Amino acid sequence: MGSITFNHVFKQYKGESRPAVNDFHLSIEEGEFLVLVGPSGCGKSTTLRMLAGLEEISDGELYIDDKFVNYVSPKDRDIAMVFQNYALYPNLTVYENIALGLKLRKTAKYDIELRVNRVAKILEISHLLDRKPSQLSGGQKQRVALGRAIAREPQVFLMDEPLSNLDAKLRAQTRAEIIKLQSDLKRTMVYVTHDQVEAMTMGTRIVVMKDGVIQQVAPPRQLYDEPSNLFVAGFIGSPQMNFVNGTVTLEEGSYFFSNKRMKLLIPRRYDDQFKRMDRSVRNVVLGVRPEHVILKAEEADDEERGFVSSSVQMTEVTGADSYVYVNVGESKIIARTDPGITYRKDDKPAIGFNMAKIHFFDENTGASLAIGGDEG
Amino acid sequence: MLLSRLRRITFFDFALVLGFTALAAFMSLPIIFILNHAFKPTNELFLFPPRFFVQNPTFSNFEQLFLHATNATVPFSRYVFNSVVVVTMTLVSVIVVSTMAAYVLAKYRFHFKQIILSMITLSLMFAPETVGIPRYLIISGIHLNNTYLGHVLPALASPIAVFMLVGFISQIPNELLEAAKIDGASHVGIFARIVLPLSVPAIATISIFTFQGVWGDVETSTLFMQDETMRTLAFYVNSLLSGLQNSVAAQNVAAAAGLLMFIPNLIIFLLFQRKVLETMIHSGIK
Ligand SMILES: Nc1ncnc2c1ncn2[C@@H]1O[C@H](COP(=O)(O)OP(=O)(O)O)[C@@H](O)[C@H]1O
Ligand SMILES: [Mg+2]
Repeated sequence: MGSITFNHVFKQYKGESRPAVNDFHLSIEEGEFLVLVGPSGCGKSTTLRMLAGLEEISDGELYIDDKFVNYVSPKDRDIAMVFQNYALYPNLTVYENIALGLKLRKTAKYDIELRVNRVAKILEISHLLDRKPSQLSGGQKQRVALGRAIAREPQVFLMDEPLSNLDAKLRAQTRAEIIKLQSDLKRTMVYVTHDQVEAMTMGTRIVVMKDGVIQQVAPPRQLYDEPSNLFVAGFIGSPQMNFVNGTVTLEEGSYFFSNKRMKLLIPRRYDDQFKRMDRSVRNVVLGVRPEHVILKAEEADDEERGFVSSSVQMTEVTGADSYVYVNVGESKIIARTDPGITYRKDDKPAIGFNMAKIHFFDENTGASLAIGGDEG
Repeated sequence: MLLSRLRRITFFDFALVLGFTALAAFMSLPIIFILNHAFKPTNELFLFPPRFFVQNPTFSNFEQLFLHATNATVPFSRYVFNSVVVVTMTLVSVIVVSTMAAYVLAKYRFHFKQIILSMITLSLMFAPETVGIPRYLIISGIHLNNTYLGHVLPALASPIAVFMLVGFISQIPNELLEAAKIDGASHVGIFARIVLPLSVPAIATISIFTFQGVWGDVETSTLFMQDETMRTLAFYVNSLLSGLQNSVAAQNVAAAAGLLMFIPNLIIFLLFQRKVLETMIHSGIK
């Protein structure tokens, strides 16, 4: 119950030059917490709305529980949806807001009362049941919207950026509650957000989208460690991954990454990939996360391999970590460092990369050069 | 609380309040006059210089009004009854038809929608006089002369009501309707449970001017009702006044009739105006 299958689904709005959702092909298992993430306008909401039945599917098939539902109306899909602006009925009390779905489904009155009260208790909104939505704070509205969704006990929950109108503290708290709620209820969840932190903390699997196209589908850890292209690598993680352009050359049986400022020995696991690329000069992008950048307070020693000198632009202390922004030639690189060591502007620390943790991407296509062969 | 507010009053506030009070007092003069006039005995009616306030109030003007009608072929109460029936039927049907039309025009996508909206806007421009003859042809063509429907039908299609409601309903967030759809509401359910309650301020507004239009309307009675028993109070008062224009004796009847026509307008206005404010405050729609 609650499994979902998208079979090459497209959405083409009238008058738009390109599809809002382009060949969305994915299976979601029952009970899964799936997060759709991507920049604004990438088609997340459209995908969710097609799943809800609020938007027509232009091409492809959609199945819920192996049932073909392209033409099934929203109320018959056994789903519930939480909207970004909560969409509480302003003319009804909190109780009536939560009860309406049950009432319209001809649930017995005592059963409605039972369920509304139970839901209210779980969400700690029992004392608000007689209020109108206009008398609630943002966080309370959010809870009522959640309550309305879970009262009906649907097979699938759909949430479209439900936390983006809350302040940071409340957002973190509600995030945890939604995770708990979903694991208690064991229902399928499809959750849309533009916030990669939210995506990483909540999803058991994450779909990264861009311009209507799925970029990668993976669990959070894998998404972080093995991004399948430049876009995913840059989108997931904050501060974002550092990118350095350069070329790959073969010297005495070993591959080297080099540009004007640096020359690095590439780990053996990339050898097969580079062998397959038959161009004489191979333009690539090296990607390395801030935590895999190594800064050494003393200036670079020419003897030491893999280290070059850099120039500090600024430092950002977040508390547990501090991030140092440095320039190496034309490349700007962010390094996570121990906050115990202070770097000042125009300091010239030596910089190197943890070569076991670097990524390579094809400069032309953006595709990762490590798919399948990456053992971290 | 009061004191702290008092302290904040500036000269500008003071001047503003004073100005508006004076304006309001000035605007209410006709109302005060109508009210007093209706209760003046004949000698006071013709007093010179005329006075605003009545000295010895009397009901004799009303007695005369009712008596006068009773002398005619149709009793006064019949006109009142007709007016009440016509106004009620028109109000209910204008609200039902206009809100339903406006909901669909505001929230659904269908062919020729833009053309229909333009036509509604266009029809706002017609002066009522220009449609008198075509209306007459239609009403008599479908044999609605001397029926209540003949009163209601011409007022039923109210472009101004639809126009206003379309503007209002399109401001209701789509998510609300979608949430109701997912909750299991049918089209009618969404309309009745969400759209209609949220449109109350706009409905109150269109009710006010629909009421005023129909309550004071003499056209349908003049053009479509040949049978005196089917004519409305507005028609009766109107013919009374125009028939007695130069008669000194009838000024008291006119004074009473004037008040009688005015009072329901006032009541409706106060009733719905409160509703307009109330719903705006409590709806939570900004
Ligand atoms: N009703 C619509 N008509 C035309 N284009 C739309 C409509 N809704 C969304 N779009 C377009 O489809 C794309 C995806 O939108 P959406 O799914 O809302 O993005 P997201 O939720 O990821 O921010 C956007 O380019 C947007 O402009
Ligand atoms: Mg969106």
